Amino acid sequence: MKVVADRERCEGHGLCADTAPEVYELDDDAIVVLVHEIVPPQLERKAEGGARVCPVAALRVEA
Amino acid sequence: MPVPISAIDLFSDQVLVDPYPHFAELRELGAVVHLPANDVYALTRYDVVRDALGDPGTFSSRSIGFNPMVNEALQGTSLASDPPVHAQLRAALTENLSPRALRGLKAQIDAKAAALVGELVEKGSFEAIDALARVFPLEVVADLIGFTGHVRENMLRWGEAAMQVIGPLNQRTAENFPIAGELYAWCAGVTAEDLAPGSVGRGIFDAEARGDIPPDTAGHIIHQYLGAGVDSTVAAIGNIVALFGTHPDQFDLVRDDPSLVPAAFAEALRFWAPINTWGRYVTRDVEIDGTTVPAGSQAAILLGSGNRDPHHYEDPDAFLVGRNPVDHLTFGFGPHGCAGQGLARLEGHAVIAALAGSAQRLVLGEVERAPSNITRSIEKLPVLEVVPA
Repeated sequence: MKVVADRERCEGHGLCADTAPEVYELDDDAIVVLVHEIVPPQLERKAEGGARVCPVAALRVEA
Repeated sequence: MPVPISAIDLFSDQVLVDPYPHFAELRELGAVVHLPANDVYALTRYDVVRDALGDPGTFSSRSIGFNPMVNEALQGTSLASDPPVHAQLRAALTENLSPRALRGLKAQIDAKAAALVGELVEKGSFEAIDALARVFPLEVVADLIGFTGHVRENMLRWGEAAMQVIGPLNQRTAENFPIAGELYAWCAGVTAEDLAPGSVGRGIFDAEARGDIPPDTAGHIIHQYLGAGVDSTVAAIGNIVALFGTHPDQFDLVRDDPSLVPAAFAEALRFWAPINTWGRYVTRDVEIDGTTVPAGSQAAILLGSGNRDPHHYEDPDAFLVGRNPVDHLTFGFGPHGCAGQGLARLEGHAVIAALAGSAQRLVLGEVERAPSNITRSIEKLPVLEVVPA
């Protein structure tokens, strides 16, 4: 599984990082950074949960 | 299959004051229900509301309002625009509203809430709408944008009117157009010098002068901050006090575990959305739940109904601070998701933390609501007794 982050659209609300800190972090400009290029299988559910709560739909999960 | 039809009028006094039984009826009828009284197709269930908000190609923002005059007046704003133009307008709007931009404000907002709530608790009783729900967001937004003088005094009525006129052409809309016009006129003429030095408002004019945002957009942006940022937050803060007063067990949970503050705010927003209904224009025939919504129709996106959908939230009519419904629909979702939600969270969290830190119990008198086209807020909320912590 891969997560695609639209860093242009990200506004830094940080809900992804609150929900799944193992998958998402915010950089110094409070823009999302992915911890893993490819999401490890044991984190797939967390990755989906974190993508889901993005309020501006800047995160997309690809199988 | 034809689209189910209901005689419910979303903008009748009765539905505006207590929409939830009517929303339940509509959800039962279908994910989309035609409402001849309002000439709209209402989206009622969580999934279809969220999908529509995430699909601006089909659900355009060219008519977020329910009358042609307001939609015309909003042309050219981020609120009423679609991709790709929308992205640039949105960026100008959020530049000073992003959580990053607001980072430095948290301590100040927390301190302001603690001082105000502390004073009220000490008094032993107070009227929560006038003394807290209206005062706090007004102070925060006024300081942020740098408003002073007569503008500050007009902010509440201007902010309220800006929401009312988004409704259909009923008496409330007609009465409020002149007041919304005062706000519009002021924003069209405002200059950098009218705003306090160092404020975000002044910063927006600096950005315009530098060419970072298109010419003549600073006034538009100030207009949106004011139109969207006051009335909705006033409603949310009144709701917090009312919900904690009527659910002392839930208030105790937050008092015992302050880490629940963000979850409690999300739940208050889910349970009583300050804005229940928002418009979209349907650009093409679209199939929803086995029925077709025709191109050219107006959709009513029932955010507050999606928030109470039992297919998405277990026991949706219960107010439970431990639920943490971070995916609630109250801020909308997607490209047009509430631009001010970072600031709203700072304000909401600050008020909840202040209440939980200084009060043990809030004994309420009679809660009064008045019908309002778009914002559902409490009009009078007497706190008869505060038991201090």
